[in-house]
Amino acid sequence: MVKNKIISYTAVFSVFLLILTVAAFSTDYIETVDDSAFEKKTRPPAAFFHDAHNETAGIDDCSVCHHLYEDGQKTDDMSVGMECSECHMSAPEDSAADLIRAYHLQCGGCHMEQKAGPIMCGECHRKN
Amino acid sequence: MTHEIYAFLRGPMVWISLTVFLGGSVYRLASMWRLAKKKDAVIFHYISVFYSLRSLLHWVSPFGSLNMRKNPAMTVIAFIFHVCLIATPVFLSAHVILVKESWDISWWWMPDHMADLLTVIVIGCCLFFAGRRIKRPDVRYLTSVSDYLILAAIAAPFITGLWAYHQWPAFSAMMLLHMASAEILLMMIPFTRLNHMLFFPFTRGYMGSEFGAVKNAKDW
Ligand code: HEC
Ligand code: HEC
Ligand code: HEC
Ligand code: HEC
Ligand code: HEM
Repeated sequence: MVKNKIISYTAVFSVFLLILTVAAFSTDYIETVDDSAFEKKTRPPAAFFHDAHNETAGIDDCSVCHHLYEDGQKTDDMSVGMECSECHMSAPEDSAADLIRAYHLQCGGCHMEQKAGPIMCGECHRKN
Repeated sequence: MTHEIYAFLRGPMVWISLTVFLGGSVYRLASMWRLAKKKDAVIFHYISVFYSLRSLLHWVSPFGSLNMRKNPAMTVIAFIFHVCLIATPVFLSAHVILVKESWDISWWWMPDHMADLLTVIVIGCCLFFAGRRIKRPDVRYLTSVSDYLILAAIAAPFITGLWAYHQWPAFSAMMLLHMASAEILLMMIPFTRLNHMLFFPFTRGYMGSEFGAVKNAKDW
């Protein structure tokens, strides 16, 4: 009896833990890109439904966006959990323009290449 | 389809329009130079940097010339028009960001609401100039269809740009029209009356030197 109880408590607790971890790493809530490095936003937020986007675009490899470089070479590892600005606006000479450029080249660059997805300012920075 | 048109207007067409604009400008200036050498070679004897700059400076300052003092309202409007016309595209956030993306260089850009204001001023001035040509008999007499077409060509990138920025209906089509109309405008500069942009410094240099060095008089 006691053993059964322990098992079911453990099971419930494990499920709880699992949900917690999934929730902690969940990216389903992300609907726009919101980098904290921009002092003030001058445009409407860029639309980006993280999970839905990567599913319809068929991107399985997180490191396509969350990339990690070593000696100037892209590695297979990823930088999940870091904001782009932590690297792309980290040097003292970097300006907001450099960070904007990183986003635009990665996001818009792929859309141009694949001839799918938004390419014009207003298609990403949607007023509503 | 949109992707293809956008890629063309954003890529090869930029180079085509820049080449036509710069190449056309050099060509026009060179042929003017040749013409001056043939018809009025003496100018090369007395053309002077000092008198050229003196004349230029007077003509680019508000009310720096007699003609401007005679027409104060028109002078103010023409000055504001030209400043907004040049400053808006050069210091517009979207333009600087596009240049940054392509060539990794950037410079100061103005806040977007300021760009909106300057844009509306340019469109308003175009309307004013068109109205003046219609209403005033003396100006109307000197007006041809091409004058209206040139005004329309100038207003077009400003109207379409404003439209795209505010994401009014069908703004992505408007964005493509914006890029196309702007590139057409750029290519028109050397070959239409808009070439006063190129010739202005030389007209002033010519007149300034003639009046300063030869006649000992002012040309403003
Ligand atoms: C198309 C590019 C792209 C791909 C592919 C991508 N991400 Fe992201 N991800 C982003 C962007 C951009 C953000 C930043 C959102 C923000 O800053 O608001 C982000 C945010 C996150 C966050 C949240 C970070 C935080 O601190 O809130 C996590 C976690 C994450 N991604 C994990 C993943 C994982 C795991 C994968 C692979 C399954 C993945 N991402 C694939 C672009 C991408
Ligand atoms: C851990 C640091 C780091 C993070 C985080 C990071 N990058 Fe990078 N990124 C680099 C390095 C290093 C390079 C290669 C050197 C360079 O070009 O600056 C690079 C190159 C790039 C390039 C040019 C090369 C290419 O892939 O075409 C783009 C664009 C870019 N990053 C965008 C992003 C975006 C967008 C994010 C956020 C989703 C991001 N980066 C996150 C370090 C990082
Ligand atoms: C590796 C390629 C790739 C990258 C990187 C990428 N995208 Fe996309 N994106 C796509 C593709 C492909 C589509 C079109 C999906 C479809 O509708 O078929 C798309 C569609 C979109 C859409 C339209 C979906 C909708 O809700 O209407 C948005 C918005 C978008 N992307 C934003 C972004 C942003 C922001 C980034 C950068 C953080 C980004 N994308 C990076 C490939 C990419
Ligand atoms: C493919 C999607 C995409 C397109 C197209 C795009 N942007 Fe962005 N842009 C982004 C993303 C993602 C960011 C980062 C947003 C953030 O963190 O808030 C960004 C950031 C910016 C920022 C800095 C943040 C702010 O609000 O001040 C500016 C300014 C900007 N973009 C202007 C433009 C202009 C102008 C154009 C058209 C020439 C454009 N963008 C086209 C995705 C896009
Ligand atoms: C290759 C040429 C050009 C390209 C690719 C281009 C692109 C753009 C883009 C992307 C926008 C912004 C839309 C937005 O913010 O959502 C814009 C706006 C604008 N552009 Fe251009 N442009 C070009 C040339 C020009 C020229 C030559 C002029 C003027 C002579 C001009 C005047 C404007 C104006 C007035 C706006 C709107 C500003 C506002 O209302 O805030 N553009 N352009």
